[in-house]
Amino acid sequence: MRFLGRGMDWVTRPQNYLGLGLVALLFLFPAFIKSMFYIQVMILVIFFAYLTSCWNILSGYAGQLSIGNAVFVMIGAYTSTLLFANLGLTPWIGMFIGGALAVFVGILVGYPTFRLRGAYFAIATIAVAEGLRKIVENTERIGKLNIGGAEGLTIPLLHHAPFQYQFVNKVYYYYIILILMFVGLYVTYRIDRSKIGYYLTAIREDEDAAQALGIDGRKYKLLAISLCAFFTALAGSFYAQLMLYIEPSGVGGLSLSIEMLLLGVIGGRGTILGPVIGAFCLVPVREMARTYIGTTYLGAHLVIYGSIMAIVILFLPHGIEEPIKKVYFGLAKRLGPAG
Amino acid sequence: MPILQIKNLTKRFGGLTAINHFDLEIEEREIVGLIGPNGAGKTTLFNVTTGVYPIDGGEIFFKGQSLNGIEPHEACSIGIGRTFQLVKPFSSKTVLYNVMVGSFCRVNDRKQAEARALEVLEFVGMLPKIDLLGKSLTIADRKRLEVAKALATGPELLLLDEVMAGLNPKETEEAISLVKEISRRGITLLIIEHVMAVIMSLSERIAVLHHGEKIAEGPPGRVSHDEKVIKAYLGDEYVIS
Amino acid sequence: MMNGSHRKVAPKEKRFHGGEKMETYIQAIVNGFLMGSMYGLIAFGLTLVFGIMRVINFAHASLLMMAMFLAYGLCQVGMNPYLSLIIVVPVFFGLGYVLQRTLIERALKMEAGVREPMSVLLLTAGLLVLFENLVLLGVGPDYRTAKTIYTGATFKVSGIIIKTAWFYGFLATMISYFLLSSFLKWTWLGQAIRAAGQDRDAARLMGIDHYHIYGVAFGIGMALVGLSGTILVPFYYIHPAVGWVFGIGSFIIVILGGLGSTAGAFWGGVIIGLIESLGAQFMNATWTIVVVYGVFLAILFIRPAGLFGLKFEW
Repeated sequence: MRFLGRGMDWVTRPQNYLGLGLVALLFLFPAFIKSMFYIQVMILVIFFAYLTSCWNILSGYAGQLSIGNAVFVMIGAYTSTLLFANLGLTPWIGMFIGGALAVFVGILVGYPTFRLRGAYFAIATIAVAEGLRKIVENTERIGKLNIGGAEGLTIPLLHHAPFQYQFVNKVYYYYIILILMFVGLYVTYRIDRSKIGYYLTAIREDEDAAQALGIDGRKYKLLAISLCAFFTALAGSFYAQLMLYIEPSGVGGLSLSIEMLLLGVIGGRGTILGPVIGAFCLVPVREMARTYIGTTYLGAHLVIYGSIMAIVILFLPHGIEEPIKKVYFGLAKRLGPAG
Repeated sequence: MPILQIKNLTKRFGGLTAINHFDLEIEEREIVGLIGPNGAGKTTLFNVTTGVYPIDGGEIFFKGQSLNGIEPHEACSIGIGRTFQLVKPFSSKTVLYNVMVGSFCRVNDRKQAEARALEVLEFVGMLPKIDLLGKSLTIADRKRLEVAKALATGPELLLLDEVMAGLNPKETEEAISLVKEISRRGITLLIIEHVMAVIMSLSERIAVLHHGEKIAEGPPGRVSHDEKVIKAYLGDEYVIS
Repeated sequence: MMNGSHRKVAPKEKRFHGGEKMETYIQAIVNGFLMGSMYGLIAFGLTLVFGIMRVINFAHASLLMMAMFLAYGLCQVGMNPYLSLIIVVPVFFGLGYVLQRTLIERALKMEAGVREPMSVLLLTAGLLVLFENLVLLGVGPDYRTAKTIYTGATFKVSGIIIKTAWFYGFLATMISYFLLSSFLKWTWLGQAIRAAGQDRDAARLMGIDHYHIYGVAFGIGMALVGLSGTILVPFYYIHPAVGWVFGIGSFIIVILGGLGSTAGAFWGGVIIGLIESLGAQFMNATWTIVVVYGVFLAILFIRPAGLFGLKFEW
């Protein structure tokens, strides 16, 4: 009997059925937990896991540290929203157009900036993202088109409209983002195991050596930013449809970019599961802080994020993915043979 | 037709002329040595040939194709491989991973790349070490890895930049036999080396570079007795080997 | 409110056709220059640290914010803001030295051979987030202004209004610039710092413990931050997020002027200050920021070494 194309042997190995169990848990979560609060939290957790995975393609694998990824979220959110509000185009299609536009912007930005190394590139991403955000913030309308400026845009409320990417019951959004996350993981997995992954890693490790081995640095970096931009934009559209309200500092702000950076670095850059682990460990902290400490102590979760980031950089530069992997496999060994 | 033809090559960096009207022809399957005091322009020659620096004057032809305006990754795909004097391993990746990056130059599939890499690693004698991380290798192994990576890209012409530097006598012996094996496989070699004994025993022909100019060329025996060559080395203040 | 009146009647501006417009521009230029020089002062520490250690300190802005809070606190207990320098500057020097030797040194050592050491950048980014939110947690999100005898004070020169606090800030900038340059050029320690910056190994061979030197350099950088924060307090609002206002700008100035060049930081700051104040004549504040970003990106693409920068190997 075959499971996912592998023999029964594969499924009975502890490290594999443990993993499958976790995946099943994720899918069955709304069946057991009915509280909307926890579902919302999980939506956010998975949203950040997905977002950070996209970031990871550019900043982890390709090693081009970006602190401006929120610009792609903003492009996705605004594109699908504007197309829906003005042309009635369902965001299910609009999100792909947003993705394409994000790719276009990504390549436009990447072409000149990929010449810059390390910190220069990072600072340039901040300048681009903040610059675009400020432009949007200052633009009330372009001709007859309402952009919203600093006040943002609300998505026309349709209540339950599956074909227009709107649902009243948040559980729908849970499954959408969950599937998106697995799509993102799959894309990352394919990159990791393919020529692209090897080439991006080589570029990250030593671009000169990579060139001498036949790798066109610019081409692959542009590929990385394109993939990153496209999938990140999809998350932007998701967020717009979830919140039914978008504004520049929320979807395109520096704090969002920094959050991706924190989660990605703490989780583990350049690994498949690092961003997911980072998100699953840290986003709940943020939500707990927000709920229990409340708005009287803003930024409490960031104190934790910041400290953990500093600790990770100094002691676990490859992120917490490594030790967690060890724990996982250690557990698997205990559970049985062939672990 | 010679595999590599360098005609009247000139390279300038601002006011400094690093390479001055340099000519060299290399036939297929030859082993040619390139020597000269420090700062003579040897690595610069490699860099120009592989497209790292643009050509300022003259021409370089590889298999009849002009290398003018070429980019480094293109040089590799048309068949010119090179190693770096300061070796550049991908330090947080395994030896196998490192070489697989090279293999992908010729194949697209991961399994094929792995097979090709293993073949190369067997050839250079590093099979027992394929799971070691780049950063944990000894200097001799790093140099060997560097050669393996370049070989995986399937070069017809291989530029070796001081692969013997820093090796003890035994390691040097092994390196020499590896180089001879590579030549036996049909790959043309242009070797920069400081260790005289090595270059004399390996090369069929030697070109001597001094202040960017060729001051001598010929079989090892003749070159080593050339007065200009001796003066260049002895008169040079910066001889650190 | 103190109002030093050097009221020189200048009838010539009435003789100009459209002289009022001219005066506004001159006012804008003066303001831009004064503010810009202070931007330069804020950027001094950043560029110095980079020039010596090749370290980009992302936490720079949050440290500026902390300096402002310290100076503010001292003002609230009645101290003259400029006198508070006596406390703020040494405290920040010490803070800088400790930070460098405990955390940053560790991150530097970890990536000793790496071409583009991102660890320090990421470490300081983490510290930025930590510091800013720690202060936010501690003092809350209220905007504060210091009430000092200099707050709101102005004086006039030839009809141009000069804010007293801005003028003192400008003076502080020029004094520190000359002190810093002299220190680096004439004192043994200063030369050791420059040596360590240019060639780590040569400096070490000369018996200079380069990590100690880095500590001193970073300490000086932080002392400059302490100074900058203090001179801002008389006229700028104090808030945990105030670092962001100057933070990104500091990076832009440093790159514009050339990483490692203090003259570059000064002129880069002045340029930004002028763009802001002259730009404000034509467009709203946010658009001037967009212009600044645009200029910055243009510099990055055309001349990444900046105005005074040296071509270094990244």
